[in-house]
Amino acid sequence: MDLSLFLQLLLPGLTTGCVYALVALGYVLCANVSGVVNFAQGEFVMFGGVLASWLFLGGVPFWLAILLATLAGAALGALQEVVTLAPVRHRPQFIQITTTVGVAVVIRGITLIAFGKDPLSLPGFSGEGIFFVLDAVLPVQSLWVWGATAALLLATFFFLRRTETGRAVRACSINLQAARLMGVNAERLRIVVFAVSGATGALAGVIITPIVLSSWDAGIAYGLKGFLGAILGGFRSASAAVFGGLGIGLLEAFGAGYISSGWKDFIVYGVLLAYLLARGGVFLRGRIAQTGAGH
Amino acid sequence: MARHKTLIATLVFLLAVIAYPILLPDSYHLGVGITAGAIAASTVGVVLLLGLAHQLAIGQAAFSMIGGYATALLTVQHGVDPFIAMVAGAVLTMVLAYAIAAPILKLRGFVLVMATLAVHLMLIAAASQVDFTGGPIGVTGVPKFAVFGLQVGSELGFYCAAWLFALIAVAIGLNIDRSRIGRALRAIAESETAAGSVGIDITRYKVQMFVIGAGMASVSGSLLVHYLRAMDPNVFGFSYSLNLVTGTIIGGLLSVWGGALGAVVIIGLRELLRDLAIPLWEAVIMGGLTVLVLIVFPRGLAGFIGDLFDRLGAAAGPRRQVQVSPDFSALTSMTDGAPNPGPLLEVAAASRSFGNLRAVNAVSFAVQPGSITALIGPNGAGKTTMFNLICGQLPLNGGQIRFAGRPIQALPPRDIAMLGIGRTFQNLQLFDNMTVLENVMCGRHRLTRTGILAITARLPGVRREERATTDAARACLRFVGLHGADAMRPSELAFGHQRLVEIARALALRPRLLLMDEPASGLNDSETEALAELILRIAALGTTVLLVEHDMRIVMGLADHVVVMDHGEKMTDGPVAQVRADPRVIGAYLGQEDAADAA
Repeated sequence: MDLSLFLQLLLPGLTTGCVYALVALGYVLCANVSGVVNFAQGEFVMFGGVLASWLFLGGVPFWLAILLATLAGAALGALQEVVTLAPVRHRPQFIQITTTVGVAVVIRGITLIAFGKDPLSLPGFSGEGIFFVLDAVLPVQSLWVWGATAALLLATFFFLRRTETGRAVRACSINLQAARLMGVNAERLRIVVFAVSGATGALAGVIITPIVLSSWDAGIAYGLKGFLGAILGGFRSASAAVFGGLGIGLLEAFGAGYISSGWKDFIVYGVLLAYLLARGGVFLRGRIAQTGAGH
Repeated sequence: MARHKTLIATLVFLLAVIAYPILLPDSYHLGVGITAGAIAASTVGVVLLLGLAHQLAIGQAAFSMIGGYATALLTVQHGVDPFIAMVAGAVLTMVLAYAIAAPILKLRGFVLVMATLAVHLMLIAAASQVDFTGGPIGVTGVPKFAVFGLQVGSELGFYCAAWLFALIAVAIGLNIDRSRIGRALRAIAESETAAGSVGIDITRYKVQMFVIGAGMASVSGSLLVHYLRAMDPNVFGFSYSLNLVTGTIIGGLLSVWGGALGAVVIIGLRELLRDLAIPLWEAVIMGGLTVLVLIVFPRGLAGFIGDLFDRLGAAAGPRRQVQVSPDFSALTSMTDGAPNPGPLLEVAAASRSFGNLRAVNAVSFAVQPGSITALIGPNGAGKTTMFNLICGQLPLNGGQIRFAGRPIQALPPRDIAMLGIGRTFQNLQLFDNMTVLENVMCGRHRLTRTGILAITARLPGVRREERATTDAARACLRFVGLHGADAMRPSELAFGHQRLVEIARALALRPRLLLMDEPASGLNDSETEALAELILRIAALGTTVLLVEHDMRIVMGLADHVVVMDHGEKMTDGPVAQVRADPRVIGAYLGQEDAADAA
């Protein structure tokens, strides 16, 4: 096998995989505390990328634009939970899921109106340089993506393992009912978790934008591929979801490189479908059915 | 009342469809009308699976793609007559849909959303890659619509054709909605467990709706392609797919009319925003309305209009009071076959463990035909597990369960119901999306036969069977004594009355064996007394009854035979008097010291 081609596929695959991993993480966190798989998860990524680019092009200082986009993602997540999910909490799963579909449509629409149809871009965080790994060429921004993802993941795991709120999230993911009885304020927790997943999603969108551009219709791809990552990881553990997301990034890159770039989406969605058909039943039983994450 | 509503809705709808081209005969508005009609065929399909059965299959646009390409390729490249191409496309689509339906519809909820989306996105990706579809550019030069060479050249002609297909879709939808399959779909939406318990074949009906919806989407796709005169991979893209779903939700997901209204909403809103010069707002408004409708009024526009209509009608008569007075002559003997020799139900060394816990450990007992047998034991004895093993809700780890001599432990709950084993639930599992009468009619499901083809065409046999089903359900309600509740929702009734509905539903199966899981729980003393009488009367019909009961007092006056379980094992079984005197039973119920005193 040609090593440099291999690296040239592997490393960019890891880069997009980072975004899918962050989306997958958001899915799992939200599902664990609310029992709802949030269809708008991918839209947070799109929204973050587009908003940061738009702010920067409008003259807002670079780092401030990034900060504002991340905060906006957090606000969007919290808002979704408070305004749209809290009122349907005790309604059937079916209603809750379709509500998140509606929210996704709204986020797409708002982005289209506010920021236009054209793809937007950000400059690389430290310029437009490239670097070499053996013969593989990579934009320097890749380092930022890897670094930022690692930092975000570390922060999330620190949050889950070392803070009171994080432990409450984990308690909910093991047994929502019992956690409530132990005095966990599930309402507040949901808001926090939706805000966190909105923020990580938006930030993921920001860091990838210098490499792939962002436009209003990009959310669905992030959402589906991140979902595939989460489900490959069993839709239960946050770390497994992260590895699932990275795996999808690699699958996509190798599929494009070794088979055909035009068939890239077909391959990834084909794997998603095949996996769901083969293993989907698993997500209907056991603990996942209890938290509703598979529903 | 309900019939009037359908009739008036039909007339108003027809009138609107006819009036539109008369009021707005210019070619622009006719075009708008054509698009709405073509889309309506799709949205009615969305209602069938998404609305009635609550299965989140949202890849409807994928099937429009197949229909669209079939039309474009056959007419442009092979000169096939447009109508024949449309039919061929629909057949192809339905065959493909059938091929993937069963595995894909095993998935539920969000997983189903993603799987159907994946199918759609794979089709889009493939269509832009392969050559015969024309790649990303697609196919152009699609002719105008025609039927067997007869050109539907004028816009008005095409408008009529599009709405004719839409109305056919509506008619099919309405026929399904008010049939046994419509009830089965609503039952599936509310509780698959309860649906299985009356013998509803869940996968079968989901697959049928998926395939019919696919056919409707395909026809809709063909029509739209004839209107656009071109086809490419993005005509029926992801946004279009979302539009179908959100439009149908706003129109009213729970009724076929809502589907038709949904198409009008989609197109109407688009036109309105174009007039207001803010076309980009479409997604925001559609999405926002969807969320709002789901939160405030899940039944959408159609439900809203229906309620207004009901309110006008309701002013006429006062609401009837619900009364309970059983008429035990309403049902006659349930024993239609020759009775089997030997026990009706035999449990032989049945075992079930959860991890290290042996919930049921080698339990054996027999239920004699015509008897009332009670399975009792203190909390944690394994009664409910035993019950679930018999119903097929849980698989056995070991042993055998035989019904009329036939092993049933490997059968799913639905097949067990089909054998004539009815059940009630401890925590009540009624279908709150139907009236009380319809709930009981669901119980007749195993005894009714009309299939999907007869139902879509509403053949005379369907009507006849419906009438028989209604009569039988009424008789069951009279037998349990619930009067005045037929048109109410189960949740509007008192708890004790809901329990009666459930018993009536189980009786509608004409069960040879009726399994009752703690039927007295939650009932007050007088209700419990009435229940005991009812159970005796049910047994008098020839139905064998197996009760699982926690409360010994109810059992003692009622049962012929008592099986006592404790800690997952059978402690003893025998006639009531013998069991009551058994010191071990007293011990299990009252604690060891009291048992010693009693002895």
